[in-house]
Order: sequence, then structure tokens, then C-alpha cells
Amino acid sequence: MAKLTVEIVTPEKRILSVQADEAIVPGGLGLFGVRPGHTPFLSLMEPGPLTLIDAGRRESYFVAGGFVEVGNDKVLVLADAAEPVAGIDVEGARRRMAEAQERMKGLSAEDARFELEQATVRREAARIGAAGMPRG
Amino acid sequence: MASLRDIRKRIRSVKNTRQITKAMKMVSAAKLRKAQDAILAARPYATMLDQIIADLSARSGDENLTHPLLAARPVKKVELVLLTSDRGLAGGFNSNVIRRANRFLYENTALESIRLATVGRKGNDFFRNRGQAIRKDFGGLYQRLNYRSAADVAGELVASYLNGEVDAVHIVYNEFVSAIAQKVTVTQLLPLQTLGAEGKAPPVEGATTLVDFKYEPDRQAVLNRLVPQAVNIKLYRALLESVASEHGARMSAMENATSNASDMIGSLTLTYNRTRQAVITKELMEIVSGAEALK
Repeated sequence: MAKLTVEIVTPEKRILSVQADEAIVPGGLGLFGVRPGHTPFLSLMEPGPLTLIDAGRRESYFVAGGFVEVGNDKVLVLADAAEPVAGIDVEGARRRMAEAQERMKGLSAEDARFELEQATVRREAARIGAAGMPRG
Repeated sequence: MASLRDIRKRIRSVKNTRQITKAMKMVSAAKLRKAQDAILAARPYATMLDQIIADLSARSGDENLTHPLLAARPVKKVELVLLTSDRGLAGGFNSNVIRRANRFLYENTALESIRLATVGRKGNDFFRNRGQAIRKDFGGLYQRLNYRSAADVAGELVASYLNGEVDAVHIVYNEFVSAIAQKVTVTQLLPLQTLGAEGKAPPVEGATTLVDFKYEPDRQAVLNRLVPQAVNIKLYRALLESVASEHGARMSAMENATSNASDMIGSLTLTYNRTRQAVITKELMEIVSGAEALK
């Protein structure tokens, strides 16, 4: 069976380039799965867990939003940041989330920074959630 | 003529200087390697992002892709962002950027206003000492240079572009050519020119088969995220190049300083030996003539 080529890159470095049977990606409209032969498309990505399934083995990464392009059995994940779930610092994520929530209290909902802090909270919450994913 | 002791002191001092410049060169070489790795590591993402934008623009057919950051408007107010280093002793690294920035100011006097913003202490010091107003100094960026901090700076610039404070943002920085060569470059950051200026990218292979290419949630939403991202990346890469250039420039400056110090030690040693010989000769002559006188 044909395999997918999955690449995860961040602005700072290439995280991963592997073959897999299936990829489950946190898309802009919810999780979606990609298998070989998938129709080409370009999607936004939300912070969340990205799972690769290869020969029955699951491996998860946390991605902090970005884009994903699917075409010709290639999945290009352009993430703002990414890390294997095993490496997630849950304590640090909790702390950052609490700090952002603290800062949000002093801001009105119209403030541009409010949205930024909200994005931080969402991202860290997703990171904590991703930490519970199968570790491959 | 300098006494032997003076020359000896001088030699010792130059040797110490050479030790320091040599160490600095070594440190810069190590940092340069790291900075070059960072440039290389950032490349795949940038290439893919460019590719996606090119594809998007090629597939859009006759429909126009619109985004506020792509729309050029009559340019009256410009912001110039200088990327210099925090530290000196890097040859012409900082002065080249500053000179280029000054030229930019002279060439564009027709504009209503040019604001300055600086990254790095050296550029900030220079314009502050000359009494030129600096709108914003993004100080301390180099201590924690990563994509996120670059994106914060880019976000600030984008905000002032969007609310009409400025009509264009240019950055002047040292482009990294090789470890020993840097090229001072002025490039336009906003409005972004990737899509607008170069027009539609040529259709990529297989693009025709992608007529029913899908976007999630929709094309405009994707574009709305892609464009600011492209701006962030552009600034991030310029910063990385600037950092690599800085270390390259410092490395060759220190290399030169080291070899100059070696030359100097050489000629001082020669003088020292000559002087020493002269002193010995003089003493001998005194002894001989003293002995002669006693005969």
C-alpha cells in the first residue's frame, strides 16, 4: 500500500520527515484524517495533537497551529511550533496558562492583547491535552 | 629612543591584546557556526511557505487575492528598521548599516516622514547621539532570538501599518553572503511584495489537475493567516542573517587584528633586539676604551 510522506517543519527547524499510513491532523474545523490518495487541499491548523499511524503504531506530536497542505500523498505540516508529546512540559504549560489567564483579567475584551492571551490559553490547554495522547 | 624596559612592556601588552583578539575570533567562529545552522534550519519552512503562497496564487486563476498587507497605497510615511548588533568590534558591520540608513534618509526626503526603529544597541546609540528621534528600540531581541520574539516585533510593525501610521516598512540589514562577506541590503517588509509585485507565479507542475483544490475553512481564511506568517518569516530570516553576518564580520575583524598584532610583535621584537645589541656594543666599547686609557 502506498504510504504518506509526512513532514513537520517549524520556522526554527525541521522536526520530522517520515513515512506513515495515516495522519490525524487538528484542522481548522476539527480533527481530520489523511490517508494515501486523499484529495489535495490546504487547511489551517489549530493547536492540538497530531497523530501518525504507521503499521499500527501511533505516535503523537503537539502542534501549535499553522497550516497543513495535503497533495500527492504528501502531508506538509507547517507548524508555528511542534514537539513530541513525550517531551511536553505539563507543569510549564499549566504555569503559562495560569499566567495568561491572570493577565487577561486586567484587559478588556476589545484590547488586542486580550486575543493574544486568549490564544496562549487555548494553545497551552491544547498542549496539556496532547500530553495525554499515546506516546508511540 | 625607547628603553629596553619600555619595549618589553609594549611587547607584553600587544601579546595580551593578541590573546584577546584570538579568543574573540574563536568565539565568533563558534557562534557563526551556530548562526549558520539556524539559517539552514529555518530554510525548509520558508521554502514551503513560499511554495504554498505561490501555489495559492497560481491556482487563484483570475480572482484576485486580496489582503490588507499586500495592498500597496500611496507612500507618504515610511518606517525604516535598522538591524545592527549590540556589540561593536565587528569591522564595518554596524557602520555599513548606519551609512546605508543615512543614505536612505537623504534619498527619500520627498516623503512626508521617515520614522526609525532599531534592533540592536549600536544603531540605536548612533541615532540617539545625533539627536534623531527613534520611534522604538526593540532592545534585547538578540538575547532571546527565536521565531516567537521575531513574530512579536513583526506583529508590532504590522499593527502600525494596518492602522495607517506608516504606509511602508523597510528593513536595512547585513545579508549573509559567506563567512567573510556581508552585503548591506534594504528590503521592503510591508506591504509584502511576494504576491503583488511579482504578479502571478508561473503555474506549478500538476497545478492544472488541482482545479478542485479544497481549502479549509475557505481560501480567504487561509490567506489571512498565510500573509502575516510570511511577514514574520521574512523578518525572522533577516534577523538570522544579520546575526550570522555579525559573527562573520567580527571573526574576520578579529582575524585581522590578530595578524596585525603579530606583525607588531615582530617589528617590536626586532627593535628590542637591535636596541639590546646596541646597548651591549656600547658597554663593550666603554670597557675597551676604559682599558685602553689605563695602558
